[in-house]
Amino acid sequence: MTPLKIGFFIVWAYLLLGPTVASAFQSHPGPEGLYAHQLAHIFFILAMAFLGYWLQVNGFTRERGWRLIQISCILLILWNIVAFTGHWLEERIPETVVSGEPDWTQRIAVNSAWTGLYYALKLDHLVSVPAMLFLLLGIRSLYRQAVTEGRRGDR
Amino acid sequence: MTGSSYSLAPIWFTDVAGSALIIVLSFLAVWYAVRLAKAQPSNVIWIYLLWLCVALAVFGVSRGVGHIAKRFLLLMDMRDVWISLRSYSGAFNTLAFVVVASITLFFQRIHRINTAILKDKEALEQASQEVMHLNRNLETLVRHRTEELSLSEKKYRRIFEGSMDMIFILDEKGDFVDINRAGLDVLGFQNRDDFIGKVSLGGLFASGEEFDQLMSGLHANGFVRDRQCRLRKSEETEVFLLLSATSRRDASGKIVSYEGIAKDVTARLYMERQLQQAEKLASLGQISTGIAHEINNPLGVMLGYTQLLLRDHPSGSQIHDDLKTIEKHARNCKAVVEDLLKFSRSTQTRKSSIDINQCVGEVISLLEHQFELDKITVETRLSPNLPRVTADGEKLQQVFMNLLMNARQAISGKGRISVGTEGDPGTRAIRVVFSDDGCGIAAEHIDKIFDPFFSTKPVGEGTGLGLSVSYGIVQDHNGRIQVESRPGKGSTFTVVLPVEQDGESASRIEASQ
Repeated sequence: MTPLKIGFFIVWAYLLLGPTVASAFQSHPGPEGLYAHQLAHIFFILAMAFLGYWLQVNGFTRERGWRLIQISCILLILWNIVAFTGHWLEERIPETVVSGEPDWTQRIAVNSAWTGLYYALKLDHLVSVPAMLFLLLGIRSLYRQAVTEGRRGDR
Repeated sequence: MTGSSYSLAPIWFTDVAGSALIIVLSFLAVWYAVRLAKAQPSNVIWIYLLWLCVALAVFGVSRGVGHIAKRFLLLMDMRDVWISLRSYSGAFNTLAFVVVASITLFFQRIHRINTAILKDKEALEQASQEVMHLNRNLETLVRHRTEELSLSEKKYRRIFEGSMDMIFILDEKGDFVDINRAGLDVLGFQNRDDFIGKVSLGGLFASGEEFDQLMSGLHANGFVRDRQCRLRKSEETEVFLLLSATSRRDASGKIVSYEGIAKDVTARLYMERQLQQAEKLASLGQISTGIAHEINNPLGVMLGYTQLLLRDHPSGSQIHDDLKTIEKHARNCKAVVEDLLKFSRSTQTRKSSIDINQCVGEVISLLEHQFELDKITVETRLSPNLPRVTADGEKLQQVFMNLLMNARQAISGKGRISVGTEGDPGTRAIRVVFSDDGCGIAAEHIDKIFDPFFSTKPVGEGTGLGLSVSYGIVQDHNGRIQVESRPGKGSTFTVVLPVEQDGESASRIEASQ
């Protein structure tokens, strides 16, 4: 190792280990997680919208399987909107509106329109489950079509 | 709003059951996606669907397990445990969303590339099949193509070689690259090897200016059509060709060759000229006859009275001398008038059987001494077995004398005159040829030399009737006079006289060849 390289290494080590306060690091308090999650929802909405549009433009929706997947895209967009709104409302509803032991006997005091909407949005599985169901049916349809085509090809 | 309380049981049960269903459904989707990808492993769309399903399954597990765990942990009063797990569940959910969205957005680009690859693959497979087909049938294809090419070559070679017109190809410099048999014959070459690559078209042209005009036409338009060209066949003879040609250029626009076809129109051109000449001279003959007859009678009267007056005045007197001058010029006028009558063939001819060689010999012996004084050599090539012709010997001698005197005048200083006779069995005629190496006749004069009173000599040195009279005499014998001349090189006059049509004459013509 040349003297120049040794000198460079010493300077680099001092700069790295010398400082007692790491002011460059940014702290990440609780709300950041929620914001990242909400942004991920928006990203998810854009991706599903793009997929649904792309399937339409490229003529994939002439096949039943892709049509079902396109419906799944629409339902996933809807579910993302529901979840996004739910997360947003959850931050604004006071915890005191829910009363009772943390089981199915709990009750919610619906004393405003926001609380009512929050109650409805908490039932988001009514959208997400059909979305997954349509995705499954779409893929299954495509699989069966591929198998049929494979058999034709073998003949 | 009035405050009212609702049970959270529907939410509780929907959450637990929904989460469980999502896990089950997402894993089923993964299972089908795996089978689909295995069924068609080369299809990139199934790979994408597999990734999508796996990401959604991760999301389903993290979210579903999280929700179920939340319900049960809270039920079992383990809130602290749930709070520590909640962050991981949320983080995984977020990560799964991002992964699903990312692969979806990038997928369209991958699909576009995949489509292009598939197209290329298809094209490659097709090309490969064609190459394999060609490989299998290459030998047969080559044989068929060779046969077709051979047939085509033979066909066009037959047209090329069999053409009665000259067909030729020149390189970019104008040198001959190929020429057919007819072309060699027209240009007077026997052997193709002596011609190809050694002769250029420009070198054959009699006039460099004419060749330059031809080439500039070819360069400007790419072709020339039916252009009359004068080419040298040998030192003494020329041929007239009706030439059409095209130039061929390469991709860069540079001329690489010329291709042409030419028709020999020399005979036709001479015939047309002779016809025009004959028509012109016939008209002139008619005029001359009328004028000559009208002048002849007054001249006779003038001469008669002059002679009568001469008797009345003794010689030595002034009046006698004046009358002599009048008589001399009147006689000159009469001679001109008689020449005009000879040209117009109005004078009587006394035809008898004569020997042309003897006739020519007498004229040469008459002029021999004069030629010696002028240092002019006369060469004779008289064919010994010529048949006799029926002609007016005196008039033919006048023709030959005119031609020899013209030849002498064309030569300034030392020179050579060649006189030859030969039989022509094709036309059953005798040809008497007079050649000199004199100054020749200018191209613009050649069509006028037989016109009465046309002369290039200074005024007073000639009447311009010599060749006109000769023409008239030969016409009167049903013959013709041809002339070929190259300025500066000399002239050749050929008198063609028909032979009596009998067996003996025909055999003698054959023998004279």
